[in-house]
Amino acid sequence: MATPPSSDPSRVIAALARDQVNVDLKTVDLCFLTGLYLRADRASLASFEEEVLVDLFEQVCDVVEPGAENPRKRATHAIQRLREQRMLARVDGVGIVRAGDYALTTLAAAVVQYFLTDEALTRESLTLLTGTLNAQLADILTAARKATDEASWRNKVSGPLRVTVSELVSGIERRQRGLDAQQEELQAEIAKLLQSDWFSAVDRCQSVLDTTTSTLDELNEILLRDTHLFIALLQEIQELATAAENPDAEETIQRVIEHVDRIAAWGSARQQAWSEYYQYVHRFLRDVVRLDPDRALSQRLRDQLAGWPVARFSLVAAHAPSIRLLRALEARVERPPVAQPRTDREADPAWVEPENVHADIEALVIRAIADGAATLAEVSSRVLAGLPESLHYAAAGRVADVVGRLARVHAEHERPWAAVLSRMEVEDWAIDRRDAP
Amino acid sequence: MNGSAFHSLEEALTDEHYPEVDLALRRGRHVGRDDGTMYEYLVDAQALLETFYRRFGCELIQRSDGYFYLLPSGDRLGRRQLSAGEMVVGQTLALLYLDPATLQHGGVVGREALLQRLSALLGIDVLVRTLDPRRMRRGKFDERIASEALRTKVSEALRRLAELGFVDALNDTQLRLRPALMRFAEPVRGLDDRSAALERLVRAGEVVLDGGEQEPEDDAGTDEAPEP
Repeated sequence: MATPPSSDPSRVIAALARDQVNVDLKTVDLCFLTGLYLRADRASLASFEEEVLVDLFEQVCDVVEPGAENPRKRATHAIQRLREQRMLARVDGVGIVRAGDYALTTLAAAVVQYFLTDEALTRESLTLLTGTLNAQLADILTAARKATDEASWRNKVSGPLRVTVSELVSGIERRQRGLDAQQEELQAEIAKLLQSDWFSAVDRCQSVLDTTTSTLDELNEILLRDTHLFIALLQEIQELATAAENPDAEETIQRVIEHVDRIAAWGSARQQAWSEYYQYVHRFLRDVVRLDPDRALSQRLRDQLAGWPVARFSLVAAHAPSIRLLRALEARVERPPVAQPRTDREADPAWVEPENVHADIEALVIRAIADGAATLAEVSSRVLAGLPESLHYAAAGRVADVVGRLARVHAEHERPWAAVLSRMEVEDWAIDRRDAP
Repeated sequence: MNGSAFHSLEEALTDEHYPEVDLALRRGRHVGRDDGTMYEYLVDAQALLETFYRRFGCELIQRSDGYFYLLPSGDRLGRRQLSAGEMVVGQTLALLYLDPATLQHGGVVGREALLQRLSALLGIDVLVRTLDPRRMRRGKFDERIASEALRTKVSEALRRLAELGFVDALNDTQLRLRPALMRFAEPVRGLDDRSAALERLVRAGEVVLDGGEQEPEDDAGTDEAPEP
């Protein structure tokens, strides 16, 4: 209801984060705003001249920070600060031509109202609010029955629901929050009473507890009864909106229904929470305070704890072990051992042709030299030509070895490279034929 | 149950609450008003169950603070004595239970508040000696590491105290105090001398005395198994 239909919470939060919105008010700022609010209220002022603002700030400064230097300059800074915080708005629109007129924003008014108003839900305020709300909803229902076009739905149903009804429901909710705060204070007060007066505070605590309990009971009763009535009226209006095919009105009514549900839920939740608190305090008063009127137990327990390292004792408690649950009987399964299939990796020997290439090399070298080969390259060419190509490289070394062993060879200082067949070269030697084998 | 007392033991034992209550009591849990129907069942069946449990060598005790527990008086049912850590934490919680400041939050206290109170009451040295004696025996200890270890020990003690029904752990940071904590204050509740009160409690089997500065090997309490 207070939320416009287009406002997606994620987008709103993202926009606030993007703009780095923050509110930072010091005590002097709050007092200044409160002073402005009260003066505007009493004198029915819509705005303030700058001079009035400065005067008022000086008065506030005298109370909050007496003896502060240069209050006029401080006032100028305070006004600027509050404008940046969206608490004050300039409303004259003449810029720097002359001193401006300023008004409190709705944000400033809300902040001040929070501190000024003591609006807690009471039987009287709730009865008044629910009565007005009931009359408003009855009027809207009548208008909805008569509404024939889009404009009448908008002006006589959706509009009043958005503004008047929403305001009334929000009024109840605001007072509920006020009552929450009051209860919190009450709980702190009960604790404080017992802390200071202990046994003497029992009757006062009991009386506070009983009063609050009966207030909550009454409020919850009114809320349960009246919210039931509101929901019935709203549902009837919603049915009419559905029949008139007016989705805007339907959505507005749905939001009001949810809001009314929320205020009804508040009543039962608070009653439940208070009931638990009531019982706890009641037991405390009965079992602790009344049985120990001099409040000696806490001190004795503190002394016991202080003497703990010397005088120790232990409480005894029962300790029966948990019942053992035996597993269901299962037939034992024999797991096969981990094994690998055996394979006979031994191959049977086979007959192959004998290989004696290297042994033949010596005979081939002797024959080549005998046939007139005069250099290592010539011998190699003749010998390797008769051998498979894959053996040429290995055989070249053996040829050189045999030549070196069986014949006298000569090498020049710079041994020349000589071609052997098509793909090899060797550093050549000349063979002395006198010692040829 | 229908809100009325049972007419026979058979009726009490066939009630739907009996198995849960029996298991809880035998495991040392203190069943209090916060336990709702379990407590109501015990109130209704108390007279019958007292004689029933006596046959197992234990007493069903009801305290005026609003809780029941089972106290072994023979050897038929296992028993355990709370560890030094549980005792120190339990007594501090009892002190918090008696504090009107706790009332403001309906008996709910934060673990941080407990640690602060423990530290203020006993000091870090006594706490380390009680909760983590091994660290103390090793001589000088780093206070930061000791604090971390103490937090762990306090958490362990709280877990066991919660099992026994002295507190409810609401979440990681908050505890709800239960009336059974008043057992820790039992030796100082009466007007008589504390030693005499302790003697009386020892005779009743409610507590056992520890040997002063004696330091246990660990903080897990002492269990005694029932006789076979």
